[in-house]
Amino acid sequence: MKAVLIIHNQAQAERIEYMLDRLNIRGYSKWENVLGKGSETGDPRLGTHTWPEMNSSVLSVVQDEQVSDLLESVKKLNAINEEVGIRAFVWEVLETV
Amino acid sequence: MSIYKTAVKKPITTLMAFIAVLVFGAYSLINLPIDLYPDIEFPAITVITSYRGAGAADIETNISKPIESSLNAIDNLKEISSESRDNLSIVSLEFEYEADLSEAANDIRDALSLLENIMPEEAENPMILKISSSMVPIYMYAITAKESYEGIEQTLEEYIINPLNRIEGIGSISVFGAPIRQVGVEIDPRKLEAYNLTVEQIGGIIRAENLNMPTGNLRMGLMDYPLRVEGEFSSSDIIEDIVLGSFNGQAIYLKDVATVRDSIKEMTMDERINGELGVRLIITKQSGANTVKVAREISKEMDKLMANLPYDIEIQTIMDTSSFIKSSVNNLTKTLLFALFFVTLVVLFFLGRWRATLIILLAIPISLIVSFIYLYVSGNSINIISLSALSIAIGMVVDDAIVVLENISKHIDRGASPREAAIYATNEVWLAVIVTTMTIVAVFLPMTLVGGMTGVMFRQLGWIVSITVTTSTITAITLTPMLSSKLLRLRSKEKKSRYEKSIVPLFDRLDNGYGRLLAWSIRHKLIISVLALLVFVGSIALVSKLGTEFMPESDESCFSIAIELQSGTRVEKTIELARDIDAYLEGIEEVELIATSAGSDDTGGLLSIFQSSGSNIINYRVSLSALDQRLRSVWDIAEEVRLHLDNYPEIAKYNLSTGSNMMMTSSVDVEIFGYDIDQTTKLANEIAEKMKLIEGARNVEISREKAKPELRAELDRQKMAAVGLNTAMVSTALYNRVAGMTATRYREEGNEYDVIIRFSEEFRNSITDIENISLQTASGSMVKLGEVGKVAEYWSPPNIEHKRLERVVKVSATPFKVSLGEMALNIQQVIDDTEIPKGIIIEVGGAFQDQQEGFKDIALLMLLSLVLVYIVMASQFESLKMPFIIMFSIPFAFSGAILALLITDTTLSMVAALGAVMLIGIVVKNAIVLVDYINLMRDRGHSLNEAIVLSGKSRLRPVLMTALTTILAMLPLALSTGEGSEVWSPMGISVIGGLIFSTMVTMIIVPVMYRIFAATGERDKKKSIHDKFVFMDN
Repeated sequence: MKAVLIIHNQAQAERIEYMLDRLNIRGYSKWENVLGKGSETGDPRLGTHTWPEMNSSVLSVVQDEQVSDLLESVKKLNAINEEVGIRAFVWEVLETV
Repeated sequence: MSIYKTAVKKPITTLMAFIAVLVFGAYSLINLPIDLYPDIEFPAITVITSYRGAGAADIETNISKPIESSLNAIDNLKEISSESRDNLSIVSLEFEYEADLSEAANDIRDALSLLENIMPEEAENPMILKISSSMVPIYMYAITAKESYEGIEQTLEEYIINPLNRIEGIGSISVFGAPIRQVGVEIDPRKLEAYNLTVEQIGGIIRAENLNMPTGNLRMGLMDYPLRVEGEFSSSDIIEDIVLGSFNGQAIYLKDVATVRDSIKEMTMDERINGELGVRLIITKQSGANTVKVAREISKEMDKLMANLPYDIEIQTIMDTSSFIKSSVNNLTKTLLFALFFVTLVVLFFLGRWRATLIILLAIPISLIVSFIYLYVSGNSINIISLSALSIAIGMVVDDAIVVLENISKHIDRGASPREAAIYATNEVWLAVIVTTMTIVAVFLPMTLVGGMTGVMFRQLGWIVSITVTTSTITAITLTPMLSSKLLRLRSKEKKSRYEKSIVPLFDRLDNGYGRLLAWSIRHKLIISVLALLVFVGSIALVSKLGTEFMPESDESCFSIAIELQSGTRVEKTIELARDIDAYLEGIEEVELIATSAGSDDTGGLLSIFQSSGSNIINYRVSLSALDQRLRSVWDIAEEVRLHLDNYPEIAKYNLSTGSNMMMTSSVDVEIFGYDIDQTTKLANEIAEKMKLIEGARNVEISREKAKPELRAELDRQKMAAVGLNTAMVSTALYNRVAGMTATRYREEGNEYDVIIRFSEEFRNSITDIENISLQTASGSMVKLGEVGKVAEYWSPPNIEHKRLERVVKVSATPFKVSLGEMALNIQQVIDDTEIPKGIIIEVGGAFQDQQEGFKDIALLMLLSLVLVYIVMASQFESLKMPFIIMFSIPFAFSGAILALLITDTTLSMVAALGAVMLIGIVVKNAIVLVDYINLMRDRGHSLNEAIVLSGKSRLRPVLMTALTTILAMLPLALSTGEGSEVWSPMGISVIGGLIFSTMVTMIIVPVMYRIFAATGERDKKKSIHDKFVFMDN
């Protein structure tokens, strides 16, 4: 079991939902408005007058074999237009109840 | 959920909501009345009291003064004035605009009831009259006839007036100048004396003969018969065969001592249409009725009715208020469509995409239609003011939609789905859109608070622009995202459209060029600042060159002349002159119709309040051909007519006015307050003479009429008593012989005609004739009037006017080809040069006073708008300094407006000044866009200079676009030359001038000012935070 945190531009919300659906990932948690800055590239997403755009994030706990497909899809999505911005981070899930 | 999210997620609901608005708007539009101006009820009430037989001075002391002093304390009263003339007192009360007139009328009634005991018994009860716009005729027909002229009143009554009265909305229809049939018994006084008869005896005999009387019932057998005497004249021929008595055994018939003529009453009024005999039919509407609709009905009905009339009766339209309204409204509608067309072009040019253009343009009809709903709900009409307000708003309503759509397409181009892009892109800009709208509203909403005449005109403008702009904002954050989500598509990056190949590089070159200019400017701050200051000061210095006026006059294709001959002139002389002037006017190429009325009509009644009449007065109403069918303006023609009229030595004075609107006079009035009539008249004459020499002063007129000669029979009471006469007996006898005694009425076909007995003309046209009149004494013997008194000639006192309870004489002048303000200055100079006797006060009033009050209102409005705009901006930027930087663009807007007015040779009228106030909102909007972006760039980490140049380059296109939509939308308004265009084109000119100039200047000055004032301070947040965190470096 691995946890995948996808942080993406709000404008991609529908695509992310569709992507998860395609990959047969049923469960996820979503934060609608997420603020932050990229470590290297991209405009800050602060929801302020200066940086009005905002991100959303999706945290999904998936089977280990699903991770690579998911990351591959995120990569493709990012390639469409890097300006828009999407990132995914993966952790190990130690236990679940 | 936010409004734009709901709108995008529920497109059908959104669409339906807007369709509902459109349907209600269309319904309102259909039901809206069309009028020239917003419903302006002039807040005035007139109290008219007649007191037969009293002279002007008696009326003044016994009637006008008590009424004035009792009414002076009424609530909301602005000014009280009165005119006392022979037999009549007219007290006019002008109220504040917000006053409730019905309440005021009640107050007046109460106040007058207290006066009842003080007023002379013979005086009639005062009549309270509200002058409302519905009393102004909407239609005036000239009717000429040949054979049918004598019976024209009956013919018209039957064929025209009765059918027309059935039209809904018609107030009254009256005929003026119709000949009145009467049976005249003209007596030869010498024969009367020979037979020892008097006029009164003859009257009694005729009355006794013309009698139908029921005389009881008769029972015969089974029946009951009523018995009657039928003695009424069956024809007027019978009258002359009446037996008056016998003399030496011979019967004396009426024809032995008099001639009986059944014909037309001696006319004191002569109505001519294009020089032909005719009458005038005047139609008024009920208040609140739709002028255009009523007029349309009238002309439709009239066409049908005319077929029934005798062939020789011809009907022509002298005045049709609806035609001017219709052509003005058509003209403005055309203007509106042109504006729409230009805005479309600009949007398409800048965006280069059909779908995007369509989405933005949809904001226009929706916003405009909402203002129709407002007009309908608030009981207003479609008029010049509301339509020009719409064409002002048309350029502004697209701005919000443009901002939203630009951001949405940016997101779509980056690869977002249109649906999401619509939601998130709107989320990013919706607040900014609302704030810019608020600056506009901050300028226009205060207009709704202005009071007085200006307020009535501009309240509607303020509401309409505020409402349309607010609607456009709501549309921009609901309908625009919804439609974008449905209609916009991602454009492929590889394939460039023709637009992108040809026009985009042009824009890029423009952006770069401007960027370089901006970079240079912020390096040379000082030069730019000094230059800007010079330009501003220079343009302000030019203000003095601008003429000023209250309201621009419009060419209504008609003018009227009131000509006054030496007072006391016989009507025949007056008519003779009228024929001469008729012939002259007919010779003018542009003249289409001339309606002349000469002399006075004693049945004129109410009409005489609006137009003075008298045996020495000729009134003209002249219609000209349509505006596009002539080269000369009504003012040029009027000037030519004035020059011609100056050639007649018999004309004492004349007044030629080119407007049909009574409420908008454009005169300067010099009011001379003083009790001594001779002294003030002399001073008024002196000032009037000097005013005539002022360049451009026309229609110089003194309100106090010249003294009028009159004949008075002065009776000697001693002598009268000796023969048993008294004043009442003598004056009744004189009345019966000169004015005539109404003996009885002759009935024919249900109509009654007076039978009047009096001396025939040749026995009552000299002082000797009057002195020779025989009076029967109590004992039955005859004495001549000359034996008990004499007839002497006098000059009767003129009419006496009061203003604020004091005697006043007004000398007024209207300007021709000079501005009102300039003329007022010259007149003030004249007054200063004149030596004014002690106790006399002179004031300058009239339209000039309105103008000054109006400009004061506008100045206050401007101040209020500036403060409100500052408040909005300060809270938007959360800064006290930024609004100042932005407001640097405002003075240049005024400079631009002044220059534009100067170049086009337009005077600074209220409307033009209002344009300048509007500029505050429009101009600031541009500067906000720029400054906001500079702030943004600095926050995003660009250096000051870099941020300025970058923002300038990036914001040039949006600023140009919004400015151009507004400018081009106003262009048709400014260039319009059609009917009524004079009223609103100054506004267009000042807005366009101000906007062009200020846009150019804004793009340079505002960044430079930003560079000067915002270099340090709140933008250096990082440094100040750094200072607080010094501990981290230790």
